[in-house]
Amino acid sequence: MIKRRLIQLAVVVLVILLGVIMFIVGKEHTILLDNKSVEIDGTTYNAFQIVEVQVAKGETLELGPRDRDKAVVMGQRHKLTVTYTDRNFEEHVIVKKFSVPIGESMVLISLPVFAAGLDQSLWLEHYEPPTILSLSPVEEELVVTEELIPLDI
Amino acid sequence: MSELRETRWEKTLNVLEKNAVPILFLIIGAIGIIFSGYSMNYLGQEIIVRIARNSFLIISLLIPIMAGMGLNFGMTLGAMAGQIGLIFVTDWAIAGIPGMVLAMIISTPISALLGWMCGKILNMAKGREMVTSYIIGFFINGVYQLIVLYGMGPVIPIKDPALVLPRGYGIRNTVNLIRMRRSLDNLLAIRIFGISIPVMTLAVIALLCLFIVWFKKSKLGQDMRAVGQDMEVARAAGIRVEHTRIVSIVISTILAGYGMIIYLQNMGTLNTYNSHMQIGMFSIAALLVGGASVNRASIGNVFLGVALFHLMFIVSPMAGKNLIGQAQLGEFFRVFVSYGVITLALVLYEIRKRHTRSRAGRLLAQEQLDARRLADD
Repeated sequence: MIKRRLIQLAVVVLVILLGVIMFIVGKEHTILLDNKSVEIDGTTYNAFQIVEVQVAKGETLELGPRDRDKAVVMGQRHKLTVTYTDRNFEEHVIVKKFSVPIGESMVLISLPVFAAGLDQSLWLEHYEPPTILSLSPVEEELVVTEELIPLDI
Repeated sequence: MSELRETRWEKTLNVLEKNAVPILFLIIGAIGIIFSGYSMNYLGQEIIVRIARNSFLIISLLIPIMAGMGLNFGMTLGAMAGQIGLIFVTDWAIAGIPGMVLAMIISTPISALLGWMCGKILNMAKGREMVTSYIIGFFINGVYQLIVLYGMGPVIPIKDPALVLPRGYGIRNTVNLIRMRRSLDNLLAIRIFGISIPVMTLAVIALLCLFIVWFKKSKLGQDMRAVGQDMEVARAAGIRVEHTRIVSIVISTILAGYGMIIYLQNMGTLNTYNSHMQIGMFSIAALLVGGASVNRASIGNVFLGVALFHLMFIVSPMAGKNLIGQAQLGEFFRVFVSYGVITLALVLYEIRKRHTRSRAGRLLAQEQLDARRLADD
């Protein structure tokens, strides 16, 4: 009886563990890629004239100064590839792995700070999307609880 | 035991009677195909999609039939649990296969609890399982609506504004499942003669079929069959009848929850307040169309049923449009056929039961006559 209970408990623990793994692996994060000049501790990190960014195996994005784009990724650990050309027309490719904090659904990466090789805490930060204040009355959505037949089953 | 002597006509009539519903649908389907004008490629694609979409749900009905509990209208309970799992997963922004698995994990304890409760009630209503489970479905639907419409938001935290109604609590009519839309179907999908085949979904269904075959041969499966045949004999043999019946409903409800998740990942949209209610009816109708009855169903019935029932669903609007210029005719046709087939199957089941009883009576009379003749000789 005790052996049976132990097996049942082990199965429950395993299923919960699987759920946690699925949560971490499947969590979708929006990564905002920001190419703006930033000042940290009196040092200015200038925006790139043109920069190519790729997050994980997603499409390569091209950003000009003050541009911002986004990439949607699944999971925590990803590879960020930044390709830019300096003033001497030399091409630089920076590849770095980073991890998105589990609770964050949207983070912002400052590309100039990233390229400068600073600590992750300086170039990756939490981003809260601005909420739009609507002064017009909110239109209530009518809840439909009965339908004769769906168009497609 | 001697066999009842039947004429060829009686034998043919017997076969026709046993397969009346599939034959009827085959004829309707064939006429529909002609009038709809759809190509075979299109029809093949649609049938494959619907087999992948619906089979898991329909297979979940097999176990209670095996246990003699008839058609489990209570499968909607599992469907609701699956939907609750999907709402949470959508709110937490979990995408793809991990999202599906997590939704299944969340739905499992809810389905098990609801299934256990349903099984307990059905044990109190022996012989009236179908109508009882149907009403339990309505009852739990009320509880589901209370939780989803008023509980989600203030009591159960839901953060995503795309999910919550503008008033600040309750879930919207439709939930977009774009993050997991066709994630299972597109995994390992292949194209054969221009028809896309969702290999992974079909593999999952095949696994479930294997589970059902294995389950039938297992101790619990044998117990269920014994309970399904005669509860008193099973009890006398030492089988825990009530417990076995509850287990069959619990398994069916859990599988229905998983089936609903597979169904909705294919659809890509969740109708929060409708999807589950319709799915029970259509799954049962499809199984009956495949030739199953209240006390007898097999895996073959599932696939034949999905193919025939959905063939009718696909061709009827276009056939209606081509016949009288109104696609709505097909829509109405779909509704009355869905409900009509369930009625027909139930009536046929009763007729067959009486027929079997009268056959048994005739067999006994024939045996007695044979014995008398033997004694006279």
